[in-house]
Amino acid sequence: MSRSRPHADPLLEMENVSVHFPVKRTYPFSKRRWIQAVTGVSLRISEGETFGIVGESGCGKSTLANAMIGMVRPTAGAVRFQGDDLYALKRAAFKAARRHMQMIFQDPFSSLNPRFTVYEIIREPLYVRGGTTEAIMKRKVLDLLKLVGLDEEDLYRYPSDFSGGQRQRIGIARAIILNPEFLVCDEPVSGLDVSVRAQILNLLMEIQTSRRLTYVFISHNLAVVKNVCQHMLVMYLGKVMEAGASDAVFADPVHPYTKALLSAILDIDVQGPRDRIILKGDIPSPIDPPTGCRFWQRCPFAMKGCETIPPELVAVEPGHQVACHLVSGFSAEQIAAGRDQPVSPQTEP
Amino acid sequence: MTDVILEVRNLKVAFPSAGGVIRAVEGIDLVTRKGECVALVGESGCGKSVTALSIMKLLRTPPSVSRIDRLELDGQDLTRLTDREMERIRGKQMAIIFQDAMTALNPVMTVGKQIDEVYRRHTRLTRKEARRRTVRALELVGVPEARSRAHSYPHELSGGMRQRVLIALAFACMPKLVIADEPTTSLDVTIQAQVLDVLKSMQQDHDVSALLITHDLSVVANMADTVYVMYSGKIVERAAMQELFTDPMHPYTRGLLASVPRLSDDRQAFVQIPDSVPHPMRKPSGCYFHPRCFRPSDRCRQHMPRLEALENGRQVRCWYPLRQESETES
Repeated sequence: MSRSRPHADPLLEMENVSVHFPVKRTYPFSKRRWIQAVTGVSLRISEGETFGIVGESGCGKSTLANAMIGMVRPTAGAVRFQGDDLYALKRAAFKAARRHMQMIFQDPFSSLNPRFTVYEIIREPLYVRGGTTEAIMKRKVLDLLKLVGLDEEDLYRYPSDFSGGQRQRIGIARAIILNPEFLVCDEPVSGLDVSVRAQILNLLMEIQTSRRLTYVFISHNLAVVKNVCQHMLVMYLGKVMEAGASDAVFADPVHPYTKALLSAILDIDVQGPRDRIILKGDIPSPIDPPTGCRFWQRCPFAMKGCETIPPELVAVEPGHQVACHLVSGFSAEQIAAGRDQPVSPQTEP
Repeated sequence: MTDVILEVRNLKVAFPSAGGVIRAVEGIDLVTRKGECVALVGESGCGKSVTALSIMKLLRTPPSVSRIDRLELDGQDLTRLTDREMERIRGKQMAIIFQDAMTALNPVMTVGKQIDEVYRRHTRLTRKEARRRTVRALELVGVPEARSRAHSYPHELSGGMRQRVLIALAFACMPKLVIADEPTTSLDVTIQAQVLDVLKSMQQDHDVSALLITHDLSVVANMADTVYVMYSGKIVERAAMQELFTDPMHPYTRGLLASVPRLSDDRQAFVQIPDSVPHPMRKPSGCYFHPRCFRPSDRCRQHMPRLEALENGRQVRCWYPLRQESETES
């Protein structure tokens, strides 16, 4: 939410990052196959902003986030945090950098150790880092408990005593105890009840302003992303479909996938029916994804060239990029080869 | 009235346990008319799924204790039926679509076989005829290449396809009532839109009544005709869908609606309801919502309000129901 001092250098920069996971071979000498979780993603996150990553399940948004904070080594590309290449750092420096980055997980039930008390859960990062006394840790934990809206008497209770919203508060306290600068929120509210979601979102926003944090906000809820993020990325099958300032993307979505995603979310505004684009089919498997544009099989505007030629990210306006042949077009010889002809069965309504 | 398909009067379900009694459902009345889609909305733990299971008479009595004044399906009294008799009703006259298709389907049986079973059980069709109907049922819900898909096992299908299979299963015998318990919560947004579309068209084309159980108000806005809002085991508001969304009368409904982020919002803090749902064993005195209400009074703290019937079928359980804003302005 906060637009703090503008910074020339981005806090975190990703350049052409790809993360591929090997698939277990079915036969000893069968061809090695890869899950292309993330392919060629570049992004810049500046200090103090909230950066949204949007996409359906399996599109690689969590893998991308894990690559950001040093949990998954990218197969290709570089991740730079405060100017340093994260995966080229020596062990000690890497650990130091990691302390500035924390994560809030989606599921508040499995992300807390059920055998730890609240106090043990929240102080764990401090304890692991070492160099403090029990008294200091306790004071810090108490301060944080108050900040996230829990009571002092909750200190020695176990996670099972708390509701989902309260557990998420514990998770938030644990994430910020080391005073990180960079916080990845991986679907922080999708596991919570509707009436509690707003509380947690507001808490996250308050903490961001008071501690000048930079957030990466992963969500499939576009309405939340629109209200929270300054910049965003729409991903599909590991590739960026559309990126830019969230105001620009929401005001004028260009990519057919973004449009479909926007029209597919059911809004609670009941005035009148809306035109809805309902996509056909399912998300293809990220093992051997479609060549060309990853979206072409489900795209209502697919052209022949989309099957084979992957579209480049091009700017449609300053700070708003789209990877789609409808925008970038085809070269003269490609048009001569009939690449811009519509794919017939897909165009039927 | 003749067009009432499902009538539930004063349903109460409790789960006694060593630590105390959990009163999951405390006296619920529900009416579903022919061809109508009724939504039961509430947050987790408010008793909506328990309600669905008790309507299907699927709750076992050792863990639960239930009591119901009337349970009628199309004029037929279900309360006195034995388990054996209920088996003839389930699947044929009423069916349920569960949230998690992976656990609802039998993992070691092809989906075609599972649908065949419904026909074989409830009709006198031959194997061959049953399979023909199965393929047609799968085609109706938009499963591509239905004939070969019928030979797949549940794990070979995607989440959206599995949910379609469940819908086909529920609509196989064109029952009078289909209960859908959170039919799309585990699906992605684009798939959710597809599945809801299928569900809606199946329900409308075949004039089947539906009871939609969900926590997602946006699903309600797109599907339901009438909405019941549940909170802590009680119904707090009933209204036609449009009226509920434009003019909520219970503070909880209004809070719930306001807390849903909308695309049309400007960037701002989210509207929140303080606190969280009370623990089912430690429900507050008086109105269950008063600790979270924005204007509780002494009366709210001491006495539970009754579900008052208002004009055009609306019902509200509040001592001081909210009036429409435009009315107070004019």
